[in-house]
Amino acid sequence: MLALLSALPIGAPALPLDEAGKYVAGAYVVFLVLLVVYLAIMAAKVQRIERELRELAGFAEQGGHHPGMPGREAEDMPGIDETKPSSGPGHDLTPPGPDDGRADHVEGVPRG
Amino acid sequence: MTSFGSGLRTLSIATVATMALALSLAFFYAPLDADQGFVQKIFYLHVPLAIVALLGFVAGGVFAVLHLRSGDSRWDAYSYVSIHMSVIFGVAVLVTGSIWAKASWGHWWVWDEPTLVSFLIVFLMYATYYPFRYAIEDRERQARYASVFAITAGAFVPLNFMAVRMAESLVHPRVFATANGGLPGEMMLTFLVSLAAMGLLWTTLVKFELTAKSASGQLKRLRRALDAPAPDGTSRVAPEVS
Repeated sequence: MLALLSALPIGAPALPLDEAGKYVAGAYVVFLVLLVVYLAIMAAKVQRIERELRELAGFAEQGGHHPGMPGREAEDMPGIDETKPSSGPGHDLTPPGPDDGRADHVEGVPRG
Repeated sequence: MTSFGSGLRTLSIATVATMALALSLAFFYAPLDADQGFVQKIFYLHVPLAIVALLGFVAGGVFAVLHLRSGDSRWDAYSYVSIHMSVIFGVAVLVTGSIWAKASWGHWWVWDEPTLVSFLIVFLMYATYYPFRYAIEDRERQARYASVFAITAGAFVPLNFMAVRMAESLVHPRVFATANGGLPGEMMLTFLVSLAAMGLLWTTLVKFELTAKSASGQLKRLRRALDAPAPDGTSRVAPEVS
């Protein structure tokens, strides 16, 4: 039992947070901040995708009553064909060009 | 369709668990270094970050080779995201390294230390990847030239690493020192767990970004398809949907 307790973090001696402690804390905090900033940017991007997808889905649902747009046609577009190969001219996975709104594609990195 | 998101949840959970374990080991299990004391704890963060960042740059080069061989734009995306993630990790390496240098040497940066300067050179070289890439408008050429860059720079990384190891000045501490017997068991275990955690983090974030990029690409294609002129000449995206 004592051996088990000694293996737990609560059994460890207090961390020496003296002069060196602030540097160690600083290094780990910098890493954490970078990670959080990156994740926040990615979360914003995912939210934007989700919002746009909702809008398009709403539009596609309305399409059944929209003149000039047959009911389920929007769901059968080539762009969302799940059987399409992942590569090729129609597959837009390459990083964006200069006209594609860079802020949406490269996050948290200085562009030199 | 390639599913970049498959297994992302499992990978994320494994990453969080391994990182928690690595932190616990670093602060509560690994003994204090006799020479450096508590400051040495930075190395359980700094060194794995550096190793993973450099391996990520090399991986970017390998993906670029696959892209040039196959012409598959998927590999270009892999290469781009690998380099992107490694540049972010590189920022963390430089900052945590500077913090360690200040605590240990009393200076934020030392210009006559080959390890520091060589990493800075590699980092700055990859920082030019973005303006180089986006200076080319044509998508095909952009991807091809970026791949050539990634291969050349990726080959430079191990050469640079070996050159630094052969350099005379070895003020920079070596984690895998061989002359004095290397790391003690507890420190080595902690370091290896930290390295695994950082590798998992890199993989998870790369996968996450590829998934987001793929979703964004699919969305663009869908929007383009919906925006195509309908047979009666009206736009298929209503003006209010923007």
